[in-house]
Amino acid sequence: MLGGFSHNYCYQCGACVADCPTHRFMPGFSPRTIIIKSLYGMEEELIGPDSLIWNCTNCYNCDERCPQEVHPIEVIITLKNMARQKGTHLTFIDKIIERVGERGVTVLQTEMISKRRRELGLDEYKVDCIEDVTKLINQKTV
Amino acid sequence: MIPLKYPQMERAVRYVMEKLDIELVDDPRYSCCPDPIYFKAGDRLTWMTLAARNISLAEEKGLDIITVCSGCTATLCEVNHELKSDNELREKVNGNLKEIGRQFKGSVKVRHLVTMLRDEVGVEKIAASVTHPLEGLRVAIHYGCHLLKPSAVMKVEDPLQPVILGQLIAATGATPVEHHEYLMCCGKACDTADLTLNMSYAVFDSVERSEADCLGLICPTCFDSFDVGQLRVSRQFAHEFRIPVIYYFQLLAIAQGASPEEVGIPYHKIMSDTLLEKLGAVPVA
Repeated sequence: MLGGFSHNYCYQCGACVADCPTHRFMPGFSPRTIIIKSLYGMEEELIGPDSLIWNCTNCYNCDERCPQEVHPIEVIITLKNMARQKGTHLTFIDKIIERVGERGVTVLQTEMISKRRRELGLDEYKVDCIEDVTKLINQKTV
Repeated sequence: MIPLKYPQMERAVRYVMEKLDIELVDDPRYSCCPDPIYFKAGDRLTWMTLAARNISLAEEKGLDIITVCSGCTATLCEVNHELKSDNELREKVNGNLKEIGRQFKGSVKVRHLVTMLRDEVGVEKIAASVTHPLEGLRVAIHYGCHLLKPSAVMKVEDPLQPVILGQLIAATGATPVEHHEYLMCCGKACDTADLTLNMSYAVFDSVERSEADCLGLICPTCFDSFDVGQLRVSRQFAHEFRIPVIYYFQLLAIAQGASPEEVGIPYHKIMSDTLLEKLGAVPVA
């Protein structure tokens, strides 16, 4: 699994908590607690079906504030990768990856937007990458 | 996301680049960056591989990459930085790219367009390109998270005291407004809707108190939260916000002579007569 080894450097100072916008509105969410639980190997809580990790807003404030270069957000992202391997992730993620594999892009092309592109004098949006992208997504790598 | 959801932003960027006499090279071989939230949360290595493929297309042409979306900036800057600095990781990703006959070399730069303009064109030259200064317009700044952080990767400036957007807004003749929550996250990536709404509410409340005419930003995902999302926040908190949200390059294009229609202002959900007047448009009845 890529990334997320830096949790060993955490000395639980809490700088990440003070500037976490999710913590501000959901006090039960704390990057510091997620890191100590990772160190204790509390797998079920962290990557089980009801894990709080999906409430991370990916703002990188914890990454900026951490004096130990723990990169709490990257640890959380690694936990999310682990949850997907376990099948306890947000299934929406599979849709996104599938869509990129099939169309090369995440956002669906709609007639309304094609019309707006014409009104704005923009060329029709085209992608020519699907063969490559499908191959890369279907590669069996860990 | 921009070409397929907010083409008015693409229109504005193309308008601005033409006025500044900078040539854009499009390449249909690009895929999605892909997004730095969901795709990365699902499979970090494949996410890196697809981003490295995109960067390798620019390397082939010997051109730097500019991004006009903060999400694209997050993915492409991070992957470019990681693969340039970590040999083992680069070999792993290049092993994957071999299957399609491509390779990441690490020979180009990736920057958000605002950073490229500041560094290569300069704020003075941008100000000099303005023919219709937006005098009297107060623009509340919203930085969004992925232009400046992580600062060790982005290397734009101190994410706790940024000035880049203020300088660029001032270049249009408008007045930048640093309201209380100008560094707040839009909340779009949280899984719980209440969190997203609370974070957005914090921003709207702060912008409203600042008495700005609009909220200016550089990210289509923040735009999503704040334009369409504003109706939901107003319902949730029983407080009707009417804060128009404008993408920075729409402001600059209008200051360079574009009409608000030309850069798609009528497609925005939230608009105000005061703003349209200040942008020089005929107010809607």
